[in-house]
Amino acid sequence: MEPVIVAQGLVKSYRTGWFGARKTVLEQVDLEVPAGSIFGILGPNGAGKTTLISILTTLLIPDEGEARVLGLDVVRQAQRLRARINLAASSAHFLWCLTVEENLRFCGRLYGLSGGVLRKKVEELLHLFELSPHRRVKFENLSTGLKQRLALAKTLVNDPELLFLDEPTTGLDPIMAQHLREEILRLNRETGLTILLTTHNLREAEMLCREVAFLKDGRLLARGGIKELQAGLGLGDHLLLTFTDGPAPLDYARLPGVLAHRRDGRRLEMILDRAEVRLAPILHALEQAGAGVAEVRVKEVDLEELYREITH
Amino acid sequence: MKLRTELTKIWAFAARSLLVNRRNVFAVFEMFFWPGVAIFSVGLLTRFLKLDPETVTFVLIGAVAMNTIQIAQLDLSYSLLYDVWSKSLKHGFIAPINLGHVLVGAGLVGLVRGALVFVVMGLLSMWLFGMDLSRPGAGGLAFFLLGLFLNAAIIGVLVLALVLRFGHRAEVAAWAFSYLLLLLCGLYYPVSVLPPGIRELAELIPLTYFLDHFRHFYGFPLITPHALGYGFALTGLYLGVSYALLLYTLRSARRRGTLLKLSE
Repeated sequence: MEPVIVAQGLVKSYRTGWFGARKTVLEQVDLEVPAGSIFGILGPNGAGKTTLISILTTLLIPDEGEARVLGLDVVRQAQRLRARINLAASSAHFLWCLTVEENLRFCGRLYGLSGGVLRKKVEELLHLFELSPHRRVKFENLSTGLKQRLALAKTLVNDPELLFLDEPTTGLDPIMAQHLREEILRLNRETGLTILLTTHNLREAEMLCREVAFLKDGRLLARGGIKELQAGLGLGDHLLLTFTDGPAPLDYARLPGVLAHRRDGRRLEMILDRAEVRLAPILHALEQAGAGVAEVRVKEVDLEELYREITH
Repeated sequence: MKLRTELTKIWAFAARSLLVNRRNVFAVFEMFFWPGVAIFSVGLLTRFLKLDPETVTFVLIGAVAMNTIQIAQLDLSYSLLYDVWSKSLKHGFIAPINLGHVLVGAGLVGLVRGALVFVVMGLLSMWLFGMDLSRPGAGGLAFFLLGLFLNAAIIGVLVLALVLRFGHRAEVAAWAFSYLLLLLCGLYYPVSVLPPGIRELAELIPLTYFLDHFRHFYGFPLITPHALGYGFALTGLYLGVSYALLLYTLRSARRRGTLLKLSE
């Protein structure tokens, strides 16, 4: 299947002040996002995530390079592209004195929806995001969670083929953030909508994204599935085994899924690519070798470690 | 279908502007309180100075013109300032709209509000200070109003360009431009009393010619022959230039990241 986003050699820099030096925010970024997936752009604050997403959503013109989204050039065919995408920014902002319903109607009209079609779409979104009871509440009087829900509802007003979410759970409490993540997953699952999201929350990326790309100081450092990236960097789940009489004489490095191992007296620590898959065969192999295992402990890979490895 | 889509996008901005005006108590002040105060204060001043009826009309025309332009241009200026104040500028510019939708939509509301102000101030002037608003006839009134609205459009478009360039800092321009016109275009005095240098500047502003043309219906000699033609020619030129400037500013805002900064 054709990728929905193809970016090549994107460069963006800003001038600081009238006569200040230019600061490069994106440096030769190449990116491909497959259709139908949830793709994550990860990186620390100031990495260039919002700049990248802004270029892809036509809000910003790159200095160099080109990007095609849904087969359309983000600079030369921006107007046609805008009709087919939508964006929720990290913090929800709407006109303060308009109600939830009025803000949705305004956004719908921007995409040319009118009459019965607009009414139906607004009703559908109010229902989908459980905003119906708040439809006549002015934006300024909404809670943060409701504001964020409205922001997400707005992104579907034009039935986009590609959705951009810029740090969608920033500022939400854990329960609301989890609710929103489930909503994003459901959208992708039920509609096949391609979603590109930026986040600095690795757990969020792991839960939502099939594939991620790490951005730091404007450079794309790595991309792939989180598990693949962990394996590539030798990072993985920790398996701690305590033996009754010391480790069995096995070539542990050759066991499937073992990235590294270390012996310490009666204890053996192994780093596995995926503990949930490798644990049973390893225990079986140990049993065959006649080793007495007194204790088994599994510690999932520390995602922060992955983050640190890639971005530092 | 295409036309309906375009009209819907225009209506998006008009409907929003109407809603905001309806909810904003200061909109009532803008439309009735300040214009009322202007007519009373200027009218009473003319009484105190014991001016003849023609001169009173001369001054009142200036007051009506000033307030009509001010209100009409505010809706245009506010169309993007609302988004800047609410940090929602991204919503508009990520949608498939163009500046024409914004200008026509918000401009329509400005036109209605400006026309209301013109009517209210005109009626007050007639009732309280004996100004005869019917003397120029329907054609004279229509051309004068058109001239006022087009001048308001020029100011509005220039303010929008400044908003896209400077954001919040351009708010002051929404009010300042009209007062600059007050000073330069001879709203309360003929441009002939302006000092040399400033007078030439006044001649570059189309409102000067619309006022000149309208006042000649009340017995004041035309300072510029074919004033209406000059006025419309200059208006067309400035509208074209200011719209081009606005387009350039928007493109520049997309390059400089101003749209993002104004949405943070």
